[in-house]
Amino acid sequence: MRILVVEDEPTVARALHEGLAAEHYDVVVAHTGEEGFFYANAEIFDVVVLDLMLPGRSGLEVLATLRKRGLQTPVLILTAKDAVEDRVRGLDSGADDYLVKPFAFPELLARIRALLRRGRVDQVLRLKAGDLEMDLVTRTVTRGHRVLELTAREFELLAYLLRHQNQLVSREMLSHDVWQEPARATPLDNVIDVHIARLRKKVDHEFATKLIHTVRGVGFILREGAPS
Amino acid sequence: MRHHWPGHSVRVRLTLWYTAALTVVLVLYAGGVLVFLQHRLATELDRQLHDDFEVAEQMVERTPEGGVRWRTAPHHEGRESGASTEQRQWVEVWSPEGHLLYRSPALGNTALGPVPVWSQAAQGSASRTVPGDHQLRLLQGAYTVGGLPVVIRVARSEAPLRHALRTFLLVLVLGLPLAVALAGVGGYALARRVLAPVGWMADQARRITVERLGERLPVANPADELGQLAAVFNDTLARLERSFAQMRRFTADASHELRTPLTAIRSVGEVGLRTPRDAQTYREIIGTMLEEVDRLRHLVEGLLTLSRADAGSIQLTPEPVDLVALAREVAHHLGVLAEEKHQSLAVEATQPVSVWVDRLVLRQALINVVDNAIKYSADKATIRVVVSEHQQGATLAVIDTGPGIAPQHRAHVFDRFYRVDTARARELGGTGGTGLGLSIARWAVEIHGGRIELESEEGQGSTFCMVLPASTSPPSSGRAMLDHARRG
Repeated sequence: MRILVVEDEPTVARALHEGLAAEHYDVVVAHTGEEGFFYANAEIFDVVVLDLMLPGRSGLEVLATLRKRGLQTPVLILTAKDAVEDRVRGLDSGADDYLVKPFAFPELLARIRALLRRGRVDQVLRLKAGDLEMDLVTRTVTRGHRVLELTAREFELLAYLLRHQNQLVSREMLSHDVWQEPARATPLDNVIDVHIARLRKKVDHEFATKLIHTVRGVGFILREGAPS
Repeated sequence: MRHHWPGHSVRVRLTLWYTAALTVVLVLYAGGVLVFLQHRLATELDRQLHDDFEVAEQMVERTPEGGVRWRTAPHHEGRESGASTEQRQWVEVWSPEGHLLYRSPALGNTALGPVPVWSQAAQGSASRTVPGDHQLRLLQGAYTVGGLPVVIRVARSEAPLRHALRTFLLVLVLGLPLAVALAGVGGYALARRVLAPVGWMADQARRITVERLGERLPVANPADELGQLAAVFNDTLARLERSFAQMRRFTADASHELRTPLTAIRSVGEVGLRTPRDAQTYREIIGTMLEEVDRLRHLVEGLLTLSRADAGSIQLTPEPVDLVALAREVAHHLGVLAEEKHQSLAVEATQPVSVWVDRLVLRQALINVVDNAIKYSADKATIRVVVSEHQQGATLAVIDTGPGIAPQHRAHVFDRFYRVDTARARELGGTGGTGLGLSIARWAVEIHGGRIELESEEGQGSTFCMVLPASTSPPSSGRAMLDHARRG
């Protein structure tokens, strides 16, 4: 999977390069709009991560030109402007998704995976991690032979963690995707922490293998064994 | 452009208006005087003609030949008196048939107008101005001289009258511009004198800068217009000073709040790099740094929300919202936080209460206030969200049984970064700990034309009342509401 990252800020560009490479993506970094445009035209990528605030040619211009030329590659835009009009403008110019800076890296990974997955029908009826099993049809959760009693919110939360198992999940992702919280400034972190604590009590408390782990400062991860 | 120009402009305009008005008044007055004078002179002339006519009646006598002649005074030796009046007066005597019987020598061969018509003369004496070069005023009437009916005509020249009027007009034409010019100069000087304090005030005002907002304009006489202006200006200055002070405090607070996590990130990082450590310790260090970054992010987002609110760039999308449902949703959302502290969080309402608001904005406000109540109330406390409707609108009251807020803090709890107990807030940390939650709540309520109030008694708990105005239709625009909120 090849990803083109167009980002002028060197530190952010390097972090993106390293982080994505660590996830086994083939990463090409362009530092200006012109360079990005050149790469996007010359080579084939699976996803383009495009910063909007670029020196020279702005991200929006690059995007609009690329789309005019018929480029179909999914584009994820990064923007420091989270005003609604800016997002709308980005999506109108042909972006497939957007992420507002400062973003959490796990969220970027999740969005990229979603873009790569796009078009494929995701007909999952059962989710599984180790001896934890979730039936999405009957909405039952079992661990080993034991049935776990979860509230609706806990069920949604666990399903989300299971879908993203072995991947870091930030509080923003949970706030946005599980709580469907539209505003970023709403203080939900405490609420999420409490729900995670309760879920962990039900899922992990009486079992030797812990599945839900907290990664300090980042978020949560569901996996067998400690986070590496 | 000279900076004094506006002052001059008013002065010049005042003078111009003043002079124009004066000119109109003077012209009307002069015209009136002229008409009056002409009337008076004409009346005087007519009176003299009547005298002349009477003299002529006395002096005219019949000659034996059947003609008419000027009589010589019977009581006088010679014809001195009669002759002199005969010399001076313009008299004609006509027969009813239109034959000239007598013409005074002063007239020579000049006729006093056309031949008189008997029927007109018989109707009585009347004076009229005879058209022609001589400018005569003429009086004629019927009379009988020794049994002979005649028409006596007397006349006087209008030249003196016209001359007097002409002289008067000349005086006016020459004098009026002079008077107007003098009045203009006087008016200009007066205007300058009256407006002088304005320039002086402007100078004073120019001296007042951002650094010296404490200064005020001296108010000479609070009762007059300029005094009122100075008072209004001083009032504005006072408000400006307050808002500048507020802004300065806010900037200081904000930089402090931003520096704290930055300092933490820096020192944790620096200390971490000092000696080699194992992977787990590094993970902890980076985790701590990321937590501080998160705090910083929440802070920046809160500040951004408020600065957009200040700039009025947040577009509201009002819709009918059931406050009871909204309160239930928020309670459901934050319920777990209360449960963790074994608090009871309940919504009390008797009926649905609908108001026209931006749902997300109001929801944020309610979340902030309820979150605040949960955070600052002790374990096992009771928190009630009471929704009620009244004449003026609707009220969302968040009532807790917490420690209450001391009187000296009450006025400030809605200020940005204001914390009743700094240490406790730090310890609570997290998202509501930015010190901006209640500021955002206040903005959210006020932008809807409502108000947020705090009632509190130490040891008895606090009540945050969000009062929203009743509106059955959508407000005209977000901008209007914003203006309303700012005025309030």
